[in-house]
Amino acid sequence: MENSNPETKPVRISILLPTNAYFMSGIRDFTMSFIKNATKFSQQWAYRFQSIVDELCNNAIEHGSESGQDIKITLVYAPEESLTITVEDTGTGKTKTKAADIEKIITERRKPGYVFEGIRGRGLSTIVSSWSDSAKFEDLPSGGIKATVTKKLDKSQNTNLPKEQAVSAANRVVLTV
Amino acid sequence: MTEANILIEDIASTDASKTLKRVSISGQLDESNVDEKSQAIYQLITQVPKGLYLIFDFEKLEYMNSKSIGYMTDWYGKISGTGGQIVIVKAKPNIVDILQVIGLTQLIPMYGSIDEAKFAILNAAAQSAQTPAPAPAPALAPTPVLVTVPAPTPVASQAPAQSPTPAPQPAPVSTSTIPPASAQVPTISTISPATPTTQIQPPSAPQP
Repeated sequence: MENSNPETKPVRISILLPTNAYFMSGIRDFTMSFIKNATKFSQQWAYRFQSIVDELCNNAIEHGSESGQDIKITLVYAPEESLTITVEDTGTGKTKTKAADIEKIITERRKPGYVFEGIRGRGLSTIVSSWSDSAKFEDLPSGGIKATVTKKLDKSQNTNLPKEQAVSAANRVVLTV
Repeated sequence: MTEANILIEDIASTDASKTLKRVSISGQLDESNVDEKSQAIYQLITQVPKGLYLIFDFEKLEYMNSKSIGYMTDWYGKISGTGGQIVIVKAKPNIVDILQVIGLTQLIPMYGSIDEAKFAILNAAAQSAQTPAPAPAPALAPTPVLVTVPAPTPVASQAPAQSPTPAPQPAPVSTSTIPPASAQVPTISTISPATPTTQIQPPSAPQP
């Protein structure tokens, strides 16, 4: 039976983003607004989710979808439970990669003592992995890849950075899409 | 392109062998602008090949992505390799947070003000001038950080076990799962010389 209770019904928002890093500033702003207004995650985690979305999208833009196509971003907040972020590409980017290859690269880079030897490579393997409970990559039938990152709402971890206050319940806006 | 600006200013130095520059970065460093903006720092490194001390003023820096941190790592390697140093001042808590998770706070000292950073740099220079054989500062034991940020909370350990599955041909769906990182870096306010989760080393071949 469908959950119609607005207090417990998952909040789900999807965005189609043209394959261009130009738009990422707006996506980060949206992510911040969504976390602050529609979830109980702290300001610190709002910033962290901004980074996770940014890194996943940058990866999809660079490797997953060619210019002129879209990537799909979906944020799902299950009240009192978790936030799930998914980013899907079309598999038409300049570097064709399988989900298992991404997993292998990330696993390799997360080994203790791994030395990064370039400007890149820290986004998925360090930022996304460190700030999530799980990061899953799937090959889509269309040829693209779907990245799914989940972070559980753990009140013991849901602390704020200094000088930042949690969004008060009175200011919360429940978004329903 | 996302807005970001880099302003480079000279800082008076009492040590002629040290060239001090203040690098004020404002706005957001992301995929759309970081390659272009980083060129100003590479030009500076080229102009001052030895004894360059860069004080990065992050007071107005709102966001930085992983690539911009990669560039900072490269600058750290180039400058420290030629007798210089880079430090960070007035970084916002969210910037400190991401620098910390990457492990950069174990390499680059952070201060609360330009004056504090300048004092530390020149004081270190004075000490080295008075001491014939100074012990070099270990790479992983920088000057204590003056910015206070709560320790990153440990990630829950009940994540699903790693279960990579080969992609079927033709594949409806194949799944790979990355478990969460378990090790965490220490609190910024009391940085210890512990080895970071992932060892940071400047890249040998820069990709500006």
